[in-house]
Amino acid sequence: MKRLRIGMISFAHSHAFSYYRELAAIENAEVVAIADENRERVQSLLEHGHLSYYDDYRDMLKLPEIDAVIICSENVNHASMVMDSARAGKHVLCEKPLGVAMDEMKIMIEICSKYGVQLMTAFPCRYLPAVVETKKALERGDIGQVVAVKGYNRGTAPEGWFVESSLSGGGAILDHTVHIADLLRWLFKREPLAVYAEQGHLFHDLEVEDSGMVHIEFDQGMIAFIDTSWSRNRKFPFWGDLKLDIIGTEGVIHMDAFAQKNEVYSDLEDKARWSYWGERMNYYMLQDFVDALVAEKGVPVTGEDGLLATTIALAAYESIQRESKVTMEKENEHGVLYGQ
Amino acid sequence: MRVAVLGCGTMGGVHARSYAKLKDVELVGVCDVEEDEAVRLANACGTTAYSRFEDMLDEGRPDVVSICLPTSLHCMYTVMAAEAGVHVICEKPVSSTAKEAEMMDVICRANQVQLLIAHVGRFFPAYTDVARQIKAGVIGKPGVVHARRIGPHPGLMKNWYNKEWDSGGVIMDLMIHDIDYMRSLLGEVRSVYAQRRTFPHLDYAWVTLRFEQGAIANLEGMWGYPGPFQTSMEFAGDRGVIHANSEVAKSVMIHRAVGSAERISTTGADPSREHTPIVLRKSPEFETAYDRELSHFIQCIQSGSQPEVTFQDACMASRVARAALESAHSGLPVNMLGFEEKGGLIG
Repeated sequence: MKRLRIGMISFAHSHAFSYYRELAAIENAEVVAIADENRERVQSLLEHGHLSYYDDYRDMLKLPEIDAVIICSENVNHASMVMDSARAGKHVLCEKPLGVAMDEMKIMIEICSKYGVQLMTAFPCRYLPAVVETKKALERGDIGQVVAVKGYNRGTAPEGWFVESSLSGGGAILDHTVHIADLLRWLFKREPLAVYAEQGHLFHDLEVEDSGMVHIEFDQGMIAFIDTSWSRNRKFPFWGDLKLDIIGTEGVIHMDAFAQKNEVYSDLEDKARWSYWGERMNYYMLQDFVDALVAEKGVPVTGEDGLLATTIALAAYESIQRESKVTMEKENEHGVLYGQ
Repeated sequence: MRVAVLGCGTMGGVHARSYAKLKDVELVGVCDVEEDEAVRLANACGTTAYSRFEDMLDEGRPDVVSICLPTSLHCMYTVMAAEAGVHVICEKPVSSTAKEAEMMDVICRANQVQLLIAHVGRFFPAYTDVARQIKAGVIGKPGVVHARRIGPHPGLMKNWYNKEWDSGGVIMDLMIHDIDYMRSLLGEVRSVYAQRRTFPHLDYAWVTLRFEQGAIANLEGMWGYPGPFQTSMEFAGDRGVIHANSEVAKSVMIHRAVGSAERISTTGADPSREHTPIVLRKSPEFETAYDRELSHFIQCIQSGSQPEVTFQDACMASRVARAALESAHSGLPVNMLGFEEKGGLIG
């Protein structure tokens, strides 16, 4: 059986550590090299001995024995890393958001296509058991025609580059719109027509916004709402949530993806804690990525998916700036189509 | 205090049953154009049934009347009561239009009677608990807020709810409780953005309120929810989060084995007695929110003091609801500054 050999580029986004751990359990893949300009950050992983380390990812890209790369850098660096990887003939799994602006995302997709490499956006939420089950219920027609979806993807305020707009490209809205935006497109097979958003600097003293409410008009009369706020406080028992309340003409689905949890009250810890015991989305996402490349099939979550989810966040920022509702522009260039 | 109730529908029944329990209050009559409804409620509460308001005013001589009629009738009957020198407790929303509300206020003042609007939302103990803790600063300054109020469609029972002009739909009739509650904690609303989807058996809306003090609240309302009536809310502030959910607060849950109804009848128990349904989930109370609200209102009428929810609060809540209806209709946000009344609900 062919094994996919993976190089990891940057551990700036902490998900990289989770991906590294999950890949160890994936039989048809192995991480052979790590590139991160911050060696200290990845030192603990290098101690195992079998990984090559590169200070400059471009040197790692020269290795013929790497089939694919996983990019978990600061958001603003996704574009250059994806393009360099494509030119080196490496398939790519890129953290979300795919990019921080429309133009760069279009070019990323174009270049990957030109060099014949696959580009996948990391949207692990598609791999949550609750989400998969919800998709089945919708496909069965359990609740009739879907008319409204209220979504919650709250989190805890991050630190470091995440809250420096020159490195992150935005705050809570960019960070937390895209997961649900992708699910809305994937679960309901609809495209956004217009966006109205509110933002706030309500919880922390940050350069970027820490709260957001994004309202979307989708085609076929569906409306959607996303709370993207970093509103979980320090003593909240969990990092955040992923919930959808789906209103149909013949019923309602309440989905709370992280409800599969136990409650822990320990004198040894400084707060109560929810212990999620459900299946780990990162593992299933990575397995799907690896399987697709090994079988030489299309990756399940494309660069276009990454771009289209991010456009909703970018439209939210536009709406906030104009203090009004913003209509999405239909794009027909660069192979990016609406209404698929 | 002599009290009468006009309107023997759902809310009339609630008011009448509350008054029947209250000490220092004598329920002197209930009135409805449908005589059957009046008789049924009068028997249940031990009072006199009327089918004409004038008769109840003349014979019953109430000091206070509860007006529990469809919204479009609030103004007319408030005026009638005021001109008869009777204090008025009127159900929410205050009226169909701002002009009607103004008229109600002017005429009650002219006749020196009190006018209180029954915004019961503030009186539910879960809501007073949250309010107390927020005012105490437990979660710091509220920033992002959610509220939900969902249940069966009242239009299945009473047709006037189905008429937008009469009821204002789920926003004006149901969500208004949360609009009032949020104003009480977060202050004045700066702008409103609403989205709504309606079908014959479904009225679903969310309304995002941006407050002057900076907070953002998304209020959700639904008529036609295929489950039990329930409410929930969450306040996230800069020092913490507080969450309330009526479903979780149901402290008694009874599951009956299917077939036990047959067993009861074979043992000779009275089959006309109302049986517990197969599944019963309840948050039991000795004193309901309506009991608290109405006894507070009666006390205010007696002492002349200002109630916890004022006429002004009621008018402001209705104004925000009308802005939400306009926003839902136009698809655009509405700024409350300079939001002009066009004389009624948008159809």
